[in-house]
Amino acid sequence: MGEMISHLTLGFGVALTLQNIALCFVGCLVGTLIGVLPGVGPIATIAMLLPITFGLDPVGALIMLAGIYYGAQYGGSTTAILVNIPGEATSVVTTLDGHQMAKQGRAGVALGTAALGSFFAGCVATLVIAALGAPLTKLALLFGPAEYFSLMVMGLCFAVVLARGSILKAFCMIMLGLLLSTVGTDLETGQERMTFGFPPLSDGIDFAVLAMGVFGFAEVLRNLESPETRDVVRTKIGRLLPNWEDIKQSINPVLRGTTIGAILGILPGNGAVLGPFASYTVEKKLAKDPSRFGRGAIEGVAGPESANNAGAQTAFIPLLTLGIPPNAVMALMVGAMTIHGIIPGPQVMTKNPELFWGMIASMWIGNLMLLVINLPLVGVWVKLLQVPYRLMFPAILIFCCIGIYSVNNQPVDVAFTALFGLFGYLLIKLGFEPAPMLLGFVLGKLMEEKLRQALIISRGSFYTFIDYQNRPISLGLLIVSIIVLVIALLPAMSKKRDEVFTE
Amino acid sequence: MKKLTLGLAAAFALAFAGTANAQNYPTKPITMIVPFAAGGPTDIIARIVGENMSKTLGQQVVVENVAGAGGTTGIARALTSPPDGYTIAMGHLGTFSAAPATYPGLKYDPINGMQTIGLAGGTPILIVARKNLEAKDLKEFVAYVKANPDKLNEAHAGVGSVSWTTCTLLKGQLGVPKLNAVAYRGTGPALNDLVSGQVDFMCDQIVSVAEQVKADTIKAYAIASPQRSPALPNVPTTKEAGLPEFQIEAWNGIAAPKGTPKEAVDKLVDALNKALNDEGVKKRLLDLGTVMPTAEERTPAGFAAVVKRDADKLSPILAAAPK
Amino acid sequence: MSLNKIERAQGLRIRSQQDLAAGLFIIALGLLAIFLSWNLPMGSLRQIGAGMLPKSIASICIGLGLLLALSSLRYNGDELSGWSWRGVIFVLGGAVLFGLTIRGFEIGSLKVPQLGLLISGPLVVLISGLAAEDKKWKELIIFAVVMTLFCALLFKYALSLPIPLAPWLLGI
Repeated sequence: MGEMISHLTLGFGVALTLQNIALCFVGCLVGTLIGVLPGVGPIATIAMLLPITFGLDPVGALIMLAGIYYGAQYGGSTTAILVNIPGEATSVVTTLDGHQMAKQGRAGVALGTAALGSFFAGCVATLVIAALGAPLTKLALLFGPAEYFSLMVMGLCFAVVLARGSILKAFCMIMLGLLLSTVGTDLETGQERMTFGFPPLSDGIDFAVLAMGVFGFAEVLRNLESPETRDVVRTKIGRLLPNWEDIKQSINPVLRGTTIGAILGILPGNGAVLGPFASYTVEKKLAKDPSRFGRGAIEGVAGPESANNAGAQTAFIPLLTLGIPPNAVMALMVGAMTIHGIIPGPQVMTKNPELFWGMIASMWIGNLMLLVINLPLVGVWVKLLQVPYRLMFPAILIFCCIGIYSVNNQPVDVAFTALFGLFGYLLIKLGFEPAPMLLGFVLGKLMEEKLRQALIISRGSFYTFIDYQNRPISLGLLIVSIIVLVIALLPAMSKKRDEVFTE
Repeated sequence: MKKLTLGLAAAFALAFAGTANAQNYPTKPITMIVPFAAGGPTDIIARIVGENMSKTLGQQVVVENVAGAGGTTGIARALTSPPDGYTIAMGHLGTFSAAPATYPGLKYDPINGMQTIGLAGGTPILIVARKNLEAKDLKEFVAYVKANPDKLNEAHAGVGSVSWTTCTLLKGQLGVPKLNAVAYRGTGPALNDLVSGQVDFMCDQIVSVAEQVKADTIKAYAIASPQRSPALPNVPTTKEAGLPEFQIEAWNGIAAPKGTPKEAVDKLVDALNKALNDEGVKKRLLDLGTVMPTAEERTPAGFAAVVKRDADKLSPILAAAPK
Repeated sequence: MSLNKIERAQGLRIRSQQDLAAGLFIIALGLLAIFLSWNLPMGSLRQIGAGMLPKSIASICIGLGLLLALSSLRYNGDELSGWSWRGVIFVLGGAVLFGLTIRGFEIGSLKVPQLGLLISGPLVVLISGLAAEDKKWKELIIFAVVMTLFCALLFKYALSLPIPLAPWLLGI
């Protein structure tokens, strides 16, 4: 404990210089901005801003870049709530209840809850990193391909719970997501799969392209169809901030979400993606009246948003303590460190203590700044909803187009997004929900990869997944998946046979 | 309004200047396409070198990441753009020497169809293994692999990646091309599983693995370069360790579309050379474990020879490799 | 929705157009996937081939689609609702046009020059804006210009993303 305090003192000593506070602020502001813009992710922005940081000292540069990263996580939920476009996989869940709240005139409350929940989660996650970072590293190393596969299976079981209507249709969507994730060059063999021989498809479908198509564009198409529903957003503007009643409702979801997100964030290979989904599942199952979910339940925003932010922070653990980046943004942070002459590895903590603890301290400062930046902005965002829809959707469209273009600098991505917009519109017409499909898509790639890795290592034996002596974690996760699935299906089963497929 | 008119006038002037002959090159920013995601080894080198080249050229060198298909998408875009010197690419061993054998339908020809500028730096390749693998040194490892081709698991960062290319070369040379290969999406996850002992060995660039070797979380058998690296002075070369035929370096180099005007090529070669001589750039590159290119390799002809040499070395083995 | 006795006695008939169409749609996608991955090897459990997962998942899709289609004969559900071509054509058309013109495009004899954001931007705003029934021309044109300039400043300069503005005019 004493050691931790002395470490944190060192860290705050580094982070609280005027220059570093300013850099942290700039990072958070830029991050919030790009997070709000659909499509422009932290990856493109951090990459573009790398040269600007050349002149800075490494600590300052990393503090700024880290600010962009969690600022973007934060800003992403704003777009999800306001216009139903998830900028990243982690904010897909926020669209479910967040956008519904906005439609009911509770956009301010949703945004405020997300901001406060994220701030709390960020504070806790910072403490977790400071106190338990080193020992928790072992968790990342316990997860081999088999454990990972089982974790993904568990994630897919969560997706069933996400469904609002027909469970059969949710299964269809998950499978469709898995199917879409197999498009592109096969990682193991380099063979092209289902690409129509079309080169831009050889790297598979980009998440941003799919999400922007089936959520963003399809939502615009749906809104254009029924002028009545879209104007509801404009006519009613409720409170700007959550009141005591809202906060009371959110406290427990925030606590649970933070715990779930913090644990999953540590896992390599983007375990953080699962955090919000897991949190949503838990909240929906614990709720007295699960039918409120998907219709603007505040718990469905508070929990997942906390999980999202907690995971975004603890994702730094494998990077800072092992030197191994768990996802693409962290890989970029490695690049940033490397450019500044600090090659991340297991020894960063001992070799560069001021960098290590300075960054951790700056995370807390960054979270505070995000709150300071975002709470006043809530009013601005809500005002934006008053823009008439006939101007709003062309604006959404141009932002989306530029955003998608900038993901890979590939114009053809924009055309693909339009195609997925059509696809998403068709799905809406057929009564499907896109959220389970996106989860299936995100998990599908990892799942196939890990399945094949595990089977190559086990020489083709499925026993590796339930080997209780060597891989108890994998077995445990599979048992949890079965339980989740049974809980999800049970209410449906217990109803009359005729109602099996409608919840 | 006055400002707008001024701005428009300036814009037209610029547009006019753009059509002027290559002697004034460069009159607008130069795009350097990096065919990989930002933050990777090639991207880092491109940004460090590109920033300095901007100073010499008097125009910004803008790095544009166009990732895809093992880097071939970005290189294809760069090499098929107009040969005016304003689009260049930073590629590596994989995209220039290995790609023709790895990707049958390749849209460019690195040997005859591109204008080489120069080598930006070599990156040594290491053979690394999980720290509790029984084999103590490279000789034992080679003997073990040959005796038990079915026991070990090799990790690599995907078909077409540097680690896949170099390890395929190693397996080909050892006569065990079919050894179990576990594919990962990038070096990070592969390294994670190597550190935790899920897989047994891999080949990769020094910049990715050096810190893990120093921290003793994995062990390095040998470095596949002629000299030891100052970053890891205790790791023997493959020659010292008894596998002299395994010599490969993952270099990064700049190329332009074929037909780029000579004036532009000369200016780019000069800018690259000046960048590599700059003390700040040099220090940054050396920190990454980079081997600075020789004066010969910094010329278009020297770089073209490197591309050709490694293509000849890799092609037969890659073409025969199980994918 | 569950059926009452009278309805049940009527036997099987289409009770939910939407579910029937949805089931057939999933089946069609599954068949397409199987067709596209026909030549990919299945491999063995020890070395799973490129085709194993696409084919297995597609088969599951077909199975689920069948279930869904059959259930539409058994349970009441929603009807199919109308389809707005106006939105599809203008909104998606605008986006596609943006993709075609931002960097230029070339398929066979069809050549689109590289126009850059200063042209593609207003194009996407104007064309997609036509989808709104309550559009006002003057407002839309001003909005297109303002949005484009705003985006150019924001993306090109504030965030310094490498997006072409107007290469034919400005050289960038």
